[in-house]
Amino acid sequence: MSLIDVKNLSVQFKTDEGLITAVEDVSFSLAPGEVLGLVGESGSGKSVTAKSMMKLNPPNAIYAPECRIDLHLDSGPVDVMALKRPRDMEIVRGGAISMIFQEPMASFAPAITIGKQMVEQLLIHTDLNKKQAKDLSIEMLDRVGILEPATRFNQYAFELSGGMRQRAMIAMALSTKPKLLIADEPTTALDVTIQAQVLDLMKDLVAEFGMGIVFITHDLSVVAQTADRVAVMYLGRIMESGPVREVIRHPAHAYTRGLLNALPKLDDLDAPLTPIPGDIPSPLERPSGCVFHPRNPELKPGSRYETERPPLTEVSPGHFAAIFPEDVPGQP
Amino acid sequence: MFQFCRFTATRAVMALVTLVIVSLIVFSLMELVPGDCAERYLAYKNTQGSAITVADVAAERARLGLDQPFLTRWATWLSGAFRGDFGESCILRVNIAQLLGDKFWLSLWICLGALTLAYAIAIPVGIISAASRNAALNNSLRIVSYLGLAMPNFLLALMVMLVSTVYFGETLTGLFSPEYKEAPWSWGKFVDLLKHAWLPIFILGWSATAFALQTVRALMSDEIGKLYVTAAAARGIYGRRLLWRYPARHALGPIVNSLGFDLNRIFNELPIVALILTLTEAGALLLEALARSNDQQLAGAIIFLLTASIVTLNFFTDILLAAIDPRVRNSILR
Repeated sequence: MSLIDVKNLSVQFKTDEGLITAVEDVSFSLAPGEVLGLVGESGSGKSVTAKSMMKLNPPNAIYAPECRIDLHLDSGPVDVMALKRPRDMEIVRGGAISMIFQEPMASFAPAITIGKQMVEQLLIHTDLNKKQAKDLSIEMLDRVGILEPATRFNQYAFELSGGMRQRAMIAMALSTKPKLLIADEPTTALDVTIQAQVLDLMKDLVAEFGMGIVFITHDLSVVAQTADRVAVMYLGRIMESGPVREVIRHPAHAYTRGLLNALPKLDDLDAPLTPIPGDIPSPLERPSGCVFHPRNPELKPGSRYETERPPLTEVSPGHFAAIFPEDVPGQP
Repeated sequence: MFQFCRFTATRAVMALVTLVIVSLIVFSLMELVPGDCAERYLAYKNTQGSAITVADVAAERARLGLDQPFLTRWATWLSGAFRGDFGESCILRVNIAQLLGDKFWLSLWICLGALTLAYAIAIPVGIISAASRNAALNNSLRIVSYLGLAMPNFLLALMVMLVSTVYFGETLTGLFSPEYKEAPWSWGKFVDLLKHAWLPIFILGWSATAFALQTVRALMSDEIGKLYVTAAAARGIYGRRLLWRYPARHALGPIVNSLGFDLNRIFNELPIVALILTLTEAGALLLEALARSNDQQLAGAIIFLLTASIVTLNFFTDILLAAIDPRVRNSILR
């Protein structure tokens, strides 16, 4: 039984320049205890996808009518897309789903103590009284490895170091015992050593709490360490998805290969970095066919990819790529 | 709490130091005016037909203490100023404290009234309009506030006077009815003042509101777009609770910060409005002292009182700011 099913998610933004497509026809599911990595460059729609699961996108976002996001809770299924009022979304926002953000400094309100923000959330989502909520918050701060949690509880975000803030953010996100944790580049703003600590902490907590995680990052090496499955996004579409080792070892899509080749390799420092040619096109000029075709160095002019949108084809069990069946590697 | 007390004490000392520096600047400016008080008074006497000798000037200088060194005179003036004694006017030869009388306080209260009116309207309206996506509401607010910014105060004052005189047969000028003008302060006089003072407060408040509305709206729009607001929404906080506890509370700091600046701006606009409404207040007196009679003692006193008011207001807004924002409490000693 999956925890969340996202089906045919399409999100557009109404702007002065016209409609901008941010996410197009994205579907995925997540089982309890599973970690899904969403990988892509900025503008690939990974954050919009994540925010859609809590309907957190700004008010000019338009969700396509056919998309469904089903959340399977103990109390019964919830269709997130059908929730209209902020009041109804309470069970999802901070209740069933918690989110941690890239900038731990900016995601705490600067003039409210960390403790007050934690307690406020617990009072909304649990039956605890203030005293119990405070005790639980301090316990959570302790659990994520913050020293002197009772002192930190009364402090403000600006009084903590970057790594400490992200730990506090994780403590706050997990205190309501959500079923799903969305982590939007949680380690990007941190030093590499702190990054490793925070990643380890998250892995431990997932195992302990048994929740699902959607881990958003642009860093394939972080995904390789953390995720069970990965979905590679480009311009709002999933280009390739599957078990993380399978995708990294046998990438089927040219875009995934491009991302992998662009990573520096510590074991061969002389190997040249191969960036993906070209730039992400303007959102107002969305390419036809496969959205990646203008930057795909492997395509010959006049190929099918310029006009037809390739389906997600299964290349090996559980491993899908947006390519035509005749291009599956290993095919005659 | 300890931090807060330390902040208040440090800030109070800073305010005092500021005042002393300000007094030095004001006093030096008074000295920079060509000629001194003795010469000016005797020249004035001369025009009245008295014959003046050099010995008279020297005697007058000695009487006013102008033969003392600069720093001594400044110290004397400053210690007087802190006791509310600004010496005598150069030309009119009356005690400045007496000459100013209640006028300065009237001006200050009119300005503070306009400031209060402006922010009492601008804070809630600005916050709500920044949070709302109602285009009609936002556009009408924009038009109203552009009207306020674009229309000069004196024009508004003239228009109000015109309408009131032509249609209601009432002249809304002055600050007191004739029977209270020279009367000592009483409840009746206070009520009478309120009956008259609402008009200058309204006129000054009109443009101040427009100005403040723009400030509040811009600050609030900034805060609403910040990540911590999205993060709070992601924790299930919504509606009014989200609006007031998160962006509104955090936008309040810079709003409070702009109060001192606004008081100065309103005071600058007061004299011309006072002129049209024939108010007897200190702004008009300042213009008179500066532009017509060159009365450096009087002008210096008014300027010092005004800056002292602004320094005091800034002191209180900073205390308020420290109460709102923990980062401010922490910042002062670093």
